[in-house]
Amino acid sequence: MTKNYFFSFVVLISSLITSCSDDDYTEIEDILPVATNDVGTYELLSTVIVDVASNDTTGDAVLPSTVSIVGGTDTDGNTTLDKLVVTNDGIWTANPVTGAITFTPNGGLSTSPTPISYTIKDAEGNVSNVATITISAVPTAVVDLTQVPYPKLSDYKFFAGIMKNQIPSLNVLPLEPESTLFTDYAHKKRFVWMPPGTKATYDGEGKVLELPVGAALIKNFYYDNVQPSNETRIIETRIMIKKATGWIFAEYVWNNEQTEAFYNMEGSYTSITWTQENGTPRTVANYRIPSETECFVCHKVNNVAKPIGIKPQNLNNDFPFNTGSQNQLAKWVEVGYLDGSNLPSNMSSTVDYKDTSKPLVDRVRSYLDINCAHCHSQEGHCEYRPMRFSFSDTGNANGLTNMGVCVDTQDMQGFPSTLSKIINPGNHNRSMLYYRINTNNETYRMPLHGRSEIHTEGVDLIRSWIATLEPCQ
Amino acid sequence: MKRKLLIFSLLLVVQFVKAQQTCATALPITTSGTFVVDAINGTEVPQPICSQYGQIPEEDIPAGEWYVYTPTGDFTVRVTSDLVANSPRKDTRVHIYVGTCTGGFTCHAGDDDSGANLSSTTTFDVEEGTTYYIAWDNRWTADGFTFQLTEGPIVVNPCTTATAITAGVTTVSTIDGNNLTTNCSNATLAEWYSYTATANLNLTITSDLPQNICKNTNFSVYTGNCPGVLTCVSSDDNSGIISCNNGNTNSFLSTKTFEVQAGVTYYIAWDNEWSEEGFDFQLTEQLIVRPVQYTTQVIGTVDSQYNTCIVDMNGDNKDDIVGISSNNMKVHLQGDAGIFSVVNFPISGTSQMPSWSIAAGDYNKDGFNDIILGANGGISLWKSNNTGSAYTSITPGEYIFCQRTNYVDINNDGNLDIFSCHDIDPNVYYLNDGNGGLNYYQSGISAGAYMLGVTASGGNYASLWTDYDNDGDVDLFISKCSGPPSELHRNDGNGIFTDISAIAEIDETPVQSWSSAIADFDNDGDMDIVVGSNGSVGHKFFRNELDKTNSVEEAFTNITVGSGLDLDNSTNRDYIAYDFDNNGFIDILGGGNKILFNKGNNIFEPTTYGSIDVGAVGDLNNDGFLDILNDFGNANVRYAIPNGNNWLKITTKGIASNSNGIGARIEIYGAWGKQIRDVRSGEGFEFMSTLNTHFGLGTATEIDQVIIKWPSGTVDTYNNVAINQTLNVIEGATLSNQNFNNGVFAIYPNPVKETINIQLKDNSMTLNNAQIFDINGKRVINTNDVSQPINVSQLANGSYILVVTDSDTKSYSQKFIKE
Repeated sequence: MTKNYFFSFVVLISSLITSCSDDDYTEIEDILPVATNDVGTYELLSTVIVDVASNDTTGDAVLPSTVSIVGGTDTDGNTTLDKLVVTNDGIWTANPVTGAITFTPNGGLSTSPTPISYTIKDAEGNVSNVATITISAVPTAVVDLTQVPYPKLSDYKFFAGIMKNQIPSLNVLPLEPESTLFTDYAHKKRFVWMPPGTKATYDGEGKVLELPVGAALIKNFYYDNVQPSNETRIIETRIMIKKATGWIFAEYVWNNEQTEAFYNMEGSYTSITWTQENGTPRTVANYRIPSETECFVCHKVNNVAKPIGIKPQNLNNDFPFNTGSQNQLAKWVEVGYLDGSNLPSNMSSTVDYKDTSKPLVDRVRSYLDINCAHCHSQEGHCEYRPMRFSFSDTGNANGLTNMGVCVDTQDMQGFPSTLSKIINPGNHNRSMLYYRINTNNETYRMPLHGRSEIHTEGVDLIRSWIATLEPCQ
Repeated sequence: MKRKLLIFSLLLVVQFVKAQQTCATALPITTSGTFVVDAINGTEVPQPICSQYGQIPEEDIPAGEWYVYTPTGDFTVRVTSDLVANSPRKDTRVHIYVGTCTGGFTCHAGDDDSGANLSSTTTFDVEEGTTYYIAWDNRWTADGFTFQLTEGPIVVNPCTTATAITAGVTTVSTIDGNNLTTNCSNATLAEWYSYTATANLNLTITSDLPQNICKNTNFSVYTGNCPGVLTCVSSDDNSGIISCNNGNTNSFLSTKTFEVQAGVTYYIAWDNEWSEEGFDFQLTEQLIVRPVQYTTQVIGTVDSQYNTCIVDMNGDNKDDIVGISSNNMKVHLQGDAGIFSVVNFPISGTSQMPSWSIAAGDYNKDGFNDIILGANGGISLWKSNNTGSAYTSITPGEYIFCQRTNYVDINNDGNLDIFSCHDIDPNVYYLNDGNGGLNYYQSGISAGAYMLGVTASGGNYASLWTDYDNDGDVDLFISKCSGPPSELHRNDGNGIFTDISAIAEIDETPVQSWSSAIADFDNDGDMDIVVGSNGSVGHKFFRNELDKTNSVEEAFTNITVGSGLDLDNSTNRDYIAYDFDNNGFIDILGGGNKILFNKGNNIFEPTTYGSIDVGAVGDLNNDGFLDILNDFGNANVRYAIPNGNNWLKITTKGIASNSNGIGARIEIYGAWGKQIRDVRSGEGFEFMSTLNTHFGLGTATEIDQVIIKWPSGTVDTYNNVAINQTLNVIEGATLSNQNFNNGVFAIYPNPVKETINIQLKDNSMTLNNAQIFDINGKRVINTNDVSQPINVSQLANGSYILVVTDSDTKSYSQKFIKE
């Protein structure tokens, strides 16, 4: 009997619920929310915020607080997935109130991150489709030829994130010649940038690559473990920019706070004390930041301003790019910075003078090329002296003579008479070249410009080499 | 037996490996032998140095290798690394000591480069039982090598029994005496002779005489402290001409000519290399004709970092030596008889050092010269106080890669300006504002700057300010290297300088010159130019073709070919022009240890000296002949020895013109015709030479006239000037009272007995200072109180010049007579 009553009760209740008067019943139609793909841009190393909900308007009204990252985790217990860590890329987070997605890139991210997805709900709790968020890194560097040189280094936007970290922004390519110039033991970071769609051309293995109008070469000079704070101190950034009328120089001197560098062509001196790799302190008391006039002494070929380091002979080697170690010339071609159509397959290249596995004479030739040849060459400031230190001049049958071996010294006034040969085989103490690289006397020292300290390692290299030379005939 | 031998050998081996590194572990040598040195790396460095070239540089890690030798008899010993075992020869150095490791050593013998190809050979006597140390060092190389010690019977050093001879013929009856084994002679027997030169001579030693036909001779010549270390200075075997009539075409007779120094004894050894047969030999002396000779004196107290300036520093008209160190100026004041007294001026602060050039002049017109120091990064000025008792350093701070610097009054306002060549930029100068202020200008860049060399890349090595067109103002010649041509800028007055390099045709390229010698080489009344070579392009000699009778700007003529300068291929940074032999023709001193003497007719002949280099030039002993301060290592003064020629010196004190009279043209007239000079500060490239003007007169005994044309326009004329004296001239001294055209003040009474009154013609002017000079240029009164009459009663009777200075530091003068 009870069973029957229950059924009837249910039926009664149901009909009570459902069978309202025909006049009161309306059908409710439920619309679903629609998530739309989002696209954004970001500058390398900077945080990006994408308001993903704002374009999700084609369906039911969405609740921004319900944005949920596909594959993410719920860190705040509100049922939305609000954080996703992508190795190599960075961290995506969703704002629990506004639904805005923030992307914080990793310090080493030099490309665009992999796109992620999200969903969003309407007030009814319906979940939308999955939509993508695609963020693309954009280049920031700006070199307006009608405005340069800019008053501040940051104006160029050559660097991403905090400028003193020296991370290049998109399309600013790091570079390093195989043997480097000695500048009072300063470290260097070098970069090149070209306007989009332009490229450099090959002009001969011993001549600098011909860069397009608008190109910029950037060189930071810095020391690590600088006292008293034991931090890195960037001293200066030297920039060359190619205008239609030729190369110009732009020198930037960094402030003590390391937040900015300011255009200054007047030249100045500074002093640096730092702790070397072996733990001992060292001071450069009179580091010279060059004036415009001094730039031009070295950076010229036949009296026309020119870069020095970017010769193919110096770039035909592997550099540890972010994308992996790769030959620099190949990298330039790959990123569209170099027309590789006439690059010879067999190039004589300089070696790293510090590489003891390389032949001593090649190390010496490379050292002399990068430290001396810009003045001591046919087209350089001091062409009237017989030395020809360009790498391409020191490897042939006349190479030793071009390096001054057994050649009489011309400029003898004031020097000890024992220095009558530029290089005296086997006898560094009777070699003028050795004497002049091994002194700080400002009227004797070689190079005349660009150093105030003796490069003991370079001097040792030259001395070792002199000891191996055959006597003069 | 075997066992003992083995042990003995082992011990020897051990010794070879471990010994030699220090004096205490020196390897013993007991007799003649050959020894192999593996490398020079012993920690004990041989001291003292028994040979040339001084201490070993620190970075070469000085080292030594030690041997100890106790001879078993009296011997003559030779130690040498000049052995076939060392092929090619090694560059060694050896010291032979007596003494003890702990007690110290004295040098007994030693050698560096007497062997072939810089190897070493030394011969010395030893006594039985005395211990000698033989120490090799790595002055040149630490490479290993082989050396030999050879004991021979004591050869009484034949120099002790040498027969003294003089010029003429000497007969050698036979060769049977002792010989010394040296790098010049290995022969067993010889005949030794000694000869002492009485003057600097060319000595010819010859056996090339008819009576010696078919004989075969060989000789060597030595100097040194007999019987100590002898050095072979010359030798000959077969340079004779007389050939044997047995069919051979060459002579076996010996002949050689070489220079000998006065007072030095030379040992001539004829040896039996080929024959012991007797023969004749002849000594011929030929006086070396050097227009002037020099003696060398090292002044040990001239020891500043830079000793590159000679100028009068205390106003007594005598040249003094100025030495510069970072915080001190050391002045050697010339007293009577060339004796120097030293004064030190401490300088506080940090100054540029005169690494590139130095110049002197009275910048602030206080009667004491101030010094410009030209460096890599700019200049410093060391300025005197009013009494010359202290100097202050001023470093204006502009970046200048200085080369030659000069004092010159560019705008002719009576105040000396500072000019500096810029190596890598257009030239720069500082205008003197009359109040000691320095106003910087760069040609072609600063607003209103004079065009004084505007080549964008610089290349300006030396500037020389001279009046090449005789129009009374200084023009500028710039020596250039590294590409661009030499420049001549004509001063057109009113601040206009015109680049007339092309018109003057002195712009020939290629040119590689760091300085030029400019003077009236042919005494025709205008300045000629010798562009001095410092590279592979030779000198260029430009003769001035100035003709003032027309308005044509004549070009210079290049007369290098045939002048003798075309044959000289030495190079140097500095070239300076002075009359070194006082013969009335200006000579050139550049590189190559020689002076190019002017023979007249634009011909130059080189005369070499043992060592002579460009340095600061002045008359350091007041004998009328110019001396040279060579500042390499030890400061050597080359004193010229008067040669009988006459001379005249003139000191110039400007009043309206700048204080030194820089820019004044001085002419002297006499039997020679005319000679001219400009007063210039900063000759050549690096050094500062005297501001006293110097003339050589040759044999002339009279000077008809001396004319000084001051930059201000004033002309002073002296008639019948005495020779061999210093004429001290102050500007206007020879003008009569009425010719003083100052228009600013009058003085009364004149002549005066007691006090002199100054009456200003323009009462708005303020006078700050009054000085009175006697006719010799000596200042006798100096007062800043110009409002009172000046008491001159104490002055001796005679002519005086009163100079007053106004608040704009302009000076005006008036002559008066004290009775």
